[in-house]
Amino acid sequence: MHGSSDRSRLWIRVFAAPILLAAATITGLLAALLWGTVGQYVAWVTVGAPVLVIAWVWVRCRTQKTGQFSRTIRGK
Amino acid sequence: MKARTVRLWSVVHAWTSLISTVFLLLLCLTGLPLIFHHEIDELLGYAPQPEAHAGAARATTQAVADAALAADPGRVLQYISWDKDEPGIVTAFTNSAVDGLPDNTTVRAFDAGSTKLLGPVGIGPMLIMLKLHTDMFVGQPGKLFLGGMGLLFAVAIISGVVLYWPFTRRLRFATIRDHASRRVRWLDWHNLIGVVTVAWALVVGLTGVVNTWAELMLNQWKATELASMVAPYAGKPPPAHLASLDDVVARARQAAPGMEVAFIAFPGTPFTSSHHFAAFMRGDTALTARLLKPVLLDGETGEVADSRALPLYLQALLISQPLHFGDYGGMPLKAIWAVLDILTIVVIGSGLYLWLARRRKRAPARTDAFARRTPVPS
Repeated sequence: MHGSSDRSRLWIRVFAAPILLAAATITGLLAALLWGTVGQYVAWVTVGAPVLVIAWVWVRCRTQKTGQFSRTIRGK
Repeated sequence: MKARTVRLWSVVHAWTSLISTVFLLLLCLTGLPLIFHHEIDELLGYAPQPEAHAGAARATTQAVADAALAADPGRVLQYISWDKDEPGIVTAFTNSAVDGLPDNTTVRAFDAGSTKLLGPVGIGPMLIMLKLHTDMFVGQPGKLFLGGMGLLFAVAIISGVVLYWPFTRRLRFATIRDHASRRVRWLDWHNLIGVVTVAWALVVGLTGVVNTWAELMLNQWKATELASMVAPYAGKPPPAHLASLDDVVARARQAAPGMEVAFIAFPGTPFTSSHHFAAFMRGDTALTARLLKPVLLDGETGEVADSRALPLYLQALLISQPLHFGDYGGMPLKAIWAVLDILTIVVIGSGLYLWLARRRKRAPARTDAFARRTPVPS
């Protein structure tokens, strides 16, 4: 029992964000088709969400690298 | 997940991806400029511009048809269409015969007010991109082949989602192991970009597949629905003289109140019977503008013969088109579509790199094992 609940908690941790992003994308794709101008605004945000996630991870990696480089320089 | 199951899914993921890689790269690379084909055509001067005459009355459909035939003597009209987003332009399709080959069709734009010829439509570099993207210049077999590649892409995506679990369950979401080897870093990026774009990639991939079946669906509609609509006219010859197009348009509007004509197919073209005009009507909302409703009209008298909603599979085709092109949410959605397309290229490229890197890593190991097995001469 305990193992099974751990496993489902782990499953949710791994797949929660991808499922949310997939749901947002599908909502946005349909919103622009069904809700006219308002739907277009919804689509820009929700279909763009995966792009924002990638941009955020990329910026995070770059800043971490820069931070490490500055710490190394200061250490010397 | 058992190790054997993971290995099995890995094989499915690797080979469905590898087989379709070259074609998916072609589709992504040609699809990228096609997202902006309106803008590129305008920039390169291939987009006809209507004359400036705000508030001027629109020319009659018959006048446009006469202008189209005068611009292309000796040929016949196949279709006349009105673009919802380009109210100042009417487009006419002429060919050597009403059932002539699609590649022989000439498409010209005319001013909706003065019927002045504005220029050809669908030429220039974007036509090459479109042909590469849809059928690789080999017609229907090319379309169906690319549809098959789209299905492989869908299998690759689904198997990728299955493999996401064993590869990332010990990591937080969006972890990029920056201190690890280049291969591990690219594996993390491949997994992350792949999983966050999964819904978009599946929708665009599968709607692309549906689009490759368009001709088959149209043939099915002709053989079933259209055949039953024109059954009462069986045996009637093609019209000796055509009804006035203005009558055809007026009667089609009466038959479908609140709708506008999207395009008229002339008798004998693939969209209608040999005896009827077909006026395809559209609504005015974002959705109904895409769900066309055919109205069949007698080719000689212009009287309405029948009108039925399209079957579900053709409605699915019409809905799938904007979901594939990404042209229904303004410029910001087009820009997002382009970035997602580029991200898909990164996923495909990184997948190929990971496969090659794994093979390279395995090769020396295999050589070592072989060396260990080789008996040393005494």
